[in-house]
Amino acid sequence: MTTISFAYTVAAGRLARVRQWRRVVVALMLLVLAGFALTLMLGQSFTPPDEVLRVLAGKDVPGASFTVGQLRLPRAVMAVLVGMCFGMGGVAFQIMLRNPLASPDIIGVSSGASAAAVFCVVVLSMDGAAVAGISVVAGLAVALIVYGLSFRNGVAGTRLILVGIGVAAMIDSFIAFVLSRAPSWDLQEALRWITGSVNGVKLDQALPVLVALAVFGGLLLSRTRDLEALRMGDDTAAALGVRVGTTRIVVMLASVGMIAVATAATGPVMFVAFLSGPIAARILGPKGSLLIPSALVGAVLVLGGDYIGQFVLPHRYPVGVVTGALGAPYLLYLIIRVNRAGGSL
Amino acid sequence: MTPSHSLVAENLSAGYGDSVILNGLDLEVPPGKITAIVGANGCGKSTLLRTMSRLLPATQGRVLLNGKSVHRSPTRELARKLGLLPQSPIAPEGITVADLVSRGRHPHHGLMSRWTRHDDEAVAQALEVTKTADLSERAVDELSGGQRQRVWIAMALAQETELLLLDEPTTFLDVSHQIEVLDLLTDLNHSRGITIVMVLHDLNLAARYADCLVAMANGRLHAYGNPEDVMTEANVETVFGLRSRVIPDPVSGKPLVLPIGRHRLSGL
Repeated sequence: MTTISFAYTVAAGRLARVRQWRRVVVALMLLVLAGFALTLMLGQSFTPPDEVLRVLAGKDVPGASFTVGQLRLPRAVMAVLVGMCFGMGGVAFQIMLRNPLASPDIIGVSSGASAAAVFCVVVLSMDGAAVAGISVVAGLAVALIVYGLSFRNGVAGTRLILVGIGVAAMIDSFIAFVLSRAPSWDLQEALRWITGSVNGVKLDQALPVLVALAVFGGLLLSRTRDLEALRMGDDTAAALGVRVGTTRIVVMLASVGMIAVATAATGPVMFVAFLSGPIAARILGPKGSLLIPSALVGAVLVLGGDYIGQFVLPHRYPVGVVTGALGAPYLLYLIIRVNRAGGSL
Repeated sequence: MTPSHSLVAENLSAGYGDSVILNGLDLEVPPGKITAIVGANGCGKSTLLRTMSRLLPATQGRVLLNGKSVHRSPTRELARKLGLLPQSPIAPEGITVADLVSRGRHPHHGLMSRWTRHDDEAVAQALEVTKTADLSERAVDELSGGQRQRVWIAMALAQETELLLLDEPTTFLDVSHQIEVLDLLTDLNHSRGITIVMVLHDLNLAARYADCLVAMANGRLHAYGNPEDVMTEANVETVFGLRSRVIPDPVSGKPLVLPIGRHRLSGL
C-alpha cells in the first residue's frame, strides 16, 4: 500500500470519528429536547402539546398559561441552562487535571459559590446579577486557595483533591451556619443552597445563566484542541505547542465562572458537574471533545432528576437530592478503584 | 541531505525551585546526527532536555534554535521545528493509534484552520515509517510496551520537525524492543536527516547508536564527542563513580563498558 492510498484510509478513520461524535451529540440533543417537552407537558396535570405550543407562542390559554408559562417553562429552561453549565464546567476541570475526582463540586468550588450566594441572599437580602457576580468571585477565590494550598513543586492531583475536600467541608459548615442564623427559616430555601433546586425559579433569573453559558462556554470551546492535548500530559501538550499555563488559567476562569453563576441561580445541584463528564465519556468513547456532550448530559441529568424528584418519588424532593443519590455510588466506586490501584490517581 | 538547523545551549542554568540542577552548561547539538546524553541519576540529563525544549525556564544563559531563543519564540512556531517525547506521556483512555498520532498535527493548526490532505499524509507516513499502520484502528492501551513507544514516536513524527528530543525512549522496554526503537530512530535519522537528541540509561546502547556522546556530571558537561573518545575508563569513573574495563564491542566495534564491582571478578 502506498502512503497516498493509506492517507485515504487515515482520512476515512478520522471522518468516521467525526461522524460518530456528531451522531452522539444529535442523540443527546434530542434527549434534552424530549426532556424539555416532557417537563412542559407533564406535571400534576397533563397539558396537550398544542396547548403548550400556543402558550409558548404567547397566546393566552386558560389554565395552561399559568402552569406551563409561569411554573413549568422557567423550571425547564433553568434546568437545561444550569445542567449545561455544570456539565461543561465540570468536565473541563476533570480534563485539565486529568482526574474525574477533580470536579468543582468535589473540590469546593461549587461550595464556595454557594456560600457566597447564600450569604448575599439570606443575610444581605440581595438578588439578581450582583449575587451571580459575587458567587463567581467566591468560586474563583476558593479555586485559587485550593490550588495554592496544594502547590508544592507543581500540583499533584491527589493532593489537590484532598485539600479541596477539606476546604469544601469547611465551607459547607459555613453554609449550614448561615442558614441556621437566617431570620426566617425556610426549608425549601435552605435545601436549595445545600443540594440545589429549581423550585420556584423565574424566567428572568435564567438570563445571567444564559449569558454565562454563552460567554464562558464559548471561551472553553475555543480551547477545545488545547484541552484535548492536555489529556496527554502537560509535557506532551507543551511539546505540541500548547501554552499550558495560559490554557490552565483560561479554563479555570471559564469553568469556575459558569459553575458559579449557575450555582447562584439554583444552588450547587449535587454531583451534576462530577457525573456529566464520565457519563458522556462512557457514551461517546474516545471520539473527540467531551465539552459539548457533557453539557448535554448535564442538561439531561438536571431535567430528569427534577422530574423524578417532583413526580416519580412518593414525596417531592429538590433535584439535587436525586442527582446526589445518583452521584454518591459513583464517588464510592471511584474511591474504591483508586485504593485498589495503590492510591495513585 | 544537509541539515540547515542548529540547536545550541549557551551557559545554560536551570533547576526546580531553589535547587540548581544545570549549572552553566554549553552544548552544540551536531545537526543531522544522533546525540545521546548519559550520566548518573540526578546529574541533570532530563533537566537539560526539558530546558532545551523550553518546558523548563532557563535561570541563566539561553538556548538557541536556528539562532533564536527557544524561551522567547512563540511556542506553536517552535513546536513545528522541535519535537519532544517526554518520559511518560499519557494516552487518553481508549484512544486509537491513528487518533493519537494525528494529535501530532496540533502545532500546524490554529483555532479555525481545517484539516488538510497534507495532515492526513503526514499521519499516514508517520504510521508507516514506524510500522504501526496495521495497528492504526487499535486502542493504544491494548498495545505492548514496544508498540506503544513506536506509536508515540509516530506522533512526534507527524509533527514534522527537523529535530526530535527524546527523554529515555527505551526505559520500561525489554531488550528486543529497546533495539527496535533505537533502530527505528537511526532509520529516521538516515532517511530523513532528523537530528536526534536522546537521554539514554544504557551506556553500551548509547555508545553503539550515538554519533555523538554527551557525558554529564553535576549539572555540567563532563565529556563530549565521539563515543570512542568519551566512553573511556577514566570518564566512566568520574561520571558514574564506577571502575570499569572498556573494550571494543565485538558486534559494532564501538566501546563496550564492563563494570567492575566487588564480587564475581576473575583474571584482573
